[in-house]
Amino acid sequence: MDIDADEHPGDSHARLKTEMWGKCCVVACNEQNGNPAGMNWRRVGEVEGGHYPNTQRHYLSMGCNHCLEPSCMIGCPTEAYTKDPQTGVVVHSADTCIGCQYCTWNCSYGVPQYNPARGVVGKCDLCHNRLADGQAPACANACPEQAIQIEIVDIARWRAEHTGANAPGLPSADDSISTTRVTLPAGLPPDMGRVDTQRITTELPHWPLVFMLVLTQLAVGAFTALWMLDLFGFGANLSIPAIAALSLAGMSLGASTLHLGRPIHAWRAVKGLRRSWLSREVLTLSLFAGAASAFAGMLFLDLPGRGFAGFIAALCGAAGAFSSARIYIVKARPAWFSRYTIAEFFSTTLFLGPLFVQATGAGTAGWLTWASVAGGAAQFITQSMKFLWMTRSEVFELRASSLLLTGLLKNHFLARMAILLGGGLILPLAGAPAWATLALALSGEWLGRWLFFVSVVPKNIAAAFTSGRAA
Amino acid sequence: MSLNWKRLIGIDNLSGEYAFARAESTGYTSAKKIPESWVKTTCGYCSVGCGIEIGVKQGRAVACRPDSTHPVNRGKLCPKGLSEHYTIDAENRAKHPLLRKNGILTRVSWDEAIATMVEKFRATQEKHGPDSLGVLSTGQLVTEEFYTLGKLVQLGFGTKNYDGNTTLCMASAVSGYKLSFGSDGPPGSYEDMEHADVVLLIGANIAENHPILCQYLDTNQEQTVIVADPRVTKTAMIADIHLPLKPRSDLALLNGIAHLLITLNLIDREYIHAHTTGFEEFEKFVAEYTPERTALLTGLSEEQIVKTAVLYGKSKAGFIGWTMGVNHSTKGSETVAAICNLALLTGNVGRAGAAPFSITGQCNAMGTREAGFASGMPGYRKFDDPVARAELAAIWNVDESRLPQKRGLAYPDIIEGAVGTKIRALWVIATNPMVSFPNQDVLRHALSNLEFLAVQDGYHPTPTTELADLVLPAAIWGEKEGTYTNSERRVSKVNKAVEPPAESLSDFDILLRIAAKLGCKEELFPGWSCPEDAFNEWRRVSAGRLCDYSGISYTDLAEGPVQWPRKPRLYSCGQFEHPGKKAKFISAAWEPYPEQPNKDYPLVLNTGRTVEHWHTRTKTKEVPILERLSPVAWLEMNPRDAKPLGLRSHDRVDLVSRRGRVRGVELRLTEITAPGQVFMPFHYFEANVNDVTQSAFDPISREPNYKQCAIRVERTGANV
Repeated sequence: MDIDADEHPGDSHARLKTEMWGKCCVVACNEQNGNPAGMNWRRVGEVEGGHYPNTQRHYLSMGCNHCLEPSCMIGCPTEAYTKDPQTGVVVHSADTCIGCQYCTWNCSYGVPQYNPARGVVGKCDLCHNRLADGQAPACANACPEQAIQIEIVDIARWRAEHTGANAPGLPSADDSISTTRVTLPAGLPPDMGRVDTQRITTELPHWPLVFMLVLTQLAVGAFTALWMLDLFGFGANLSIPAIAALSLAGMSLGASTLHLGRPIHAWRAVKGLRRSWLSREVLTLSLFAGAASAFAGMLFLDLPGRGFAGFIAALCGAAGAFSSARIYIVKARPAWFSRYTIAEFFSTTLFLGPLFVQATGAGTAGWLTWASVAGGAAQFITQSMKFLWMTRSEVFELRASSLLLTGLLKNHFLARMAILLGGGLILPLAGAPAWATLALALSGEWLGRWLFFVSVVPKNIAAAFTSGRAA
Repeated sequence: MSLNWKRLIGIDNLSGEYAFARAESTGYTSAKKIPESWVKTTCGYCSVGCGIEIGVKQGRAVACRPDSTHPVNRGKLCPKGLSEHYTIDAENRAKHPLLRKNGILTRVSWDEAIATMVEKFRATQEKHGPDSLGVLSTGQLVTEEFYTLGKLVQLGFGTKNYDGNTTLCMASAVSGYKLSFGSDGPPGSYEDMEHADVVLLIGANIAENHPILCQYLDTNQEQTVIVADPRVTKTAMIADIHLPLKPRSDLALLNGIAHLLITLNLIDREYIHAHTTGFEEFEKFVAEYTPERTALLTGLSEEQIVKTAVLYGKSKAGFIGWTMGVNHSTKGSETVAAICNLALLTGNVGRAGAAPFSITGQCNAMGTREAGFASGMPGYRKFDDPVARAELAAIWNVDESRLPQKRGLAYPDIIEGAVGTKIRALWVIATNPMVSFPNQDVLRHALSNLEFLAVQDGYHPTPTTELADLVLPAAIWGEKEGTYTNSERRVSKVNKAVEPPAESLSDFDILLRIAAKLGCKEELFPGWSCPEDAFNEWRRVSAGRLCDYSGISYTDLAEGPVQWPRKPRLYSCGQFEHPGKKAKFISAAWEPYPEQPNKDYPLVLNTGRTVEHWHTRTKTKEVPILERLSPVAWLEMNPRDAKPLGLRSHDRVDLVSRRGRVRGVELRLTEITAPGQVFMPFHYFEANVNDVTQSAFDPISREPNYKQCAIRVERTGANV
């Protein structure tokens, strides 16, 4: 224990030797924090390399790395995270948290874990309340090998030296500037690496989000189309599709609060505007809903000046779709961390919006069909290119995602692509009724968004071979 | 379950359940884990014998922490110890006596349970002879209970066919010590692992199985740690030198080292002359274990063998520790003797840092070795020693003729006896053979042959209690009082923290009730009411013996644990327990292990443990965090063996031997295991490796050769 907070305001820095075999730290952590067995704020991963008998296996014990640039904190929409200026400990408040789980997507180490029983996230706080009392954290206290040590380091120096937090089986410390110094013995076998790479599993689908994302994107596309129809004078009976699209958007935004562990506190999601794309999404989509309501109302009442309201709705909608996409562009989830996410979300907008307007009986304009076909084609190209990009990648998580799409999720993926061809190209060009095309296209986008969530393979610390991942 | 709408909408986030608080005894921690009081006791898992405190809140065990004043564990515990309180509050604790009626285990009163048991056992013995009753005990009870049980079985029921699961574990160490030194009794202490400048561990993966002992390895910078193990275990990885020898070539290695020590003149001739017999014969015997031949037999290089011999021979103090890699073998006893040979050659006995040291398995295996009445009479007395017989008969005030003339059947022979007609009724206490016995097919046959099977256990159902005609519910660790003796002969107090569940009783109370029903309570246990009564008699019985407890009282133990015979080492004066007080060199020839691989069964199966689980998982299965960390069995295989089979990690495979098949085991490809060898943990009933292990036993100790059976691996479902 080497805490010297008076001298150097800085970051607590867990030093990690890797001669650990007992997993005492995991048990001690769960006991300290009263967590159920399925949640482990401290985990021990295994890395292995070499050939018999010159085999090495090392055990990496990891709680929170209390990063210099904590991605959990940056993503949090409610400011539930704070970084202690003296100790650098990243502390999460279960009372402020609304259970949006965005931080769990942001962390490259899988540190914050959602506790469904509580409806909030929890994570290692380095037992900072024990540290303040001059006591060691539970993990460090329990380790028979004294493998976990805590010290305060100089921030500037650590920025320069932070590669010391890299080790085989750990995500790059660059993602968030982890402050855990990992000490491995010299002369590691070159093939030293994770032992859990053969076990690739799907992620949670987050149904409310699948539902919400596709429908809000549809609504944004629909309002943009309606605004343009109205602007260029194609308009007749535009108010019905506008009200229908508005209802969908409202419903889906409402439904999205079901994704929260604590829906009653959903309003807190705008608190993090300065940093969090989730806050920005909530704000822009709310503005979109407001402007779209105004536009729809003006359409219904046939009021003048609605072109401006429509423009604002389209603008806020686009900003909303963009914010939605940016939520998922996080380093910790490589399959999301690309422009394909933006392309996928906007393709949905272009694909479904005009179709919806057509299907609800407003537009007979030919360009609506062509816009939708363009959207479908864009989605097809986006998905194809993303798939090829992932299969050819040297990044484990991307390859793993593509393996899910060709393995466990093969039929879903094929269906998704086939529906794109059917709903995006064949049906519209064959002149099928717009409602039929819309039904097919919408189901395809829902399937696609479900795949988006379940097929992402997050970065994480190496896991043990037999045990499941932490919640 | 009531719907908590406040939780659903998020007003409530269970902040009460997840609240933290500060307490003087714990510091800042989860509020629900802060106990009202702490009860000092000794860990109930392995033989390291860690001091532990149980936190009690409203009559329930809510926390465990290391007893920082205990000399063994120095303020640390392994993950099993840290979560041991969960074993007490488990759902499947045995709560009521159960008797099989019309095929169904039915709740009965204690009176009916014990009356039925005594009646059935007596009837069987009257019909088929006294020895038709077999008793299988354990290493899990307190010494007081072992002492009581031994008298009850041997003098009360009058059967000598009584043995413990310790025969599956450390019987070879006992036999080996007896061969070399004339008595059981590990001569060293844990602190010797610190004092030694060379520590040689043979077939001992202490980092996995006795993790707390690793603390003793790290302290001495001058020390060289050598680990001989066919698998690159966690312990092998932290060693300075790993000797990746062929399976069960340890005896060849030991003889080869002995030969080198003699030829390089690294032996203590003065010590040999003064304190041993049989050196000349031994010298001739090991002459054939030249470095060339030893290298051939062990698969090690001559250089590795010479280096090991020189390091050990030149060490100021050499420590050799071993566990199941040595004991689980048909040559186990002789291999133990071969370890003792090295210590005798170099005078590495009875000095600081110098010991041939058996690291035992269960928390109180030592207690049953000393005070039990199975493979010997209490106090390391031999059945055929007339002086010892007279002594005991006098203390107990019984006719000497009531003491058995010789040892009864050992564990595997009791099972074999039940397959035949020798054993007709069986009493199983705190052990779970349906997981632990090798070649389960034989065991199933044996148990199905019995006229009456009584199982006394803290848990129900277990795979064994499910087959019982009578289940006696017992209190477990944390619910009763007594003493455990650890590997280094340290006697520690075991204390009661909470009441046993429902109707369950401590084994001590159960035994006294049985004795009362049997009508021998006043004769054998006069006036006894608590474990201390047994302890005090045991102190008198052990007085003057090597394992002398006479100077150790409960009052002393309340102050802290005590090593018998109140000194850290045995044989410091060079006086051994053989007649003539000299130790013996034992010439034990290496032999190939009994079941060699062939075309149909090309792989050599090794079995062992994982740190998260204890033995047959009766207890640790009930600890959620341990189950989380190690939920299923796995098979370790080298990728070079998997390739031709087209197998990958996480594939489900079957293990097939001549005796059976283990189905659906998760495959783990790893370079930890050598090509040609596979490894599987033995804790899991759901995938029980003992369905394929063999019925091969050490002729001296009767310990099973669990390791090195020939198997093949098939993809599950491939040949259906």
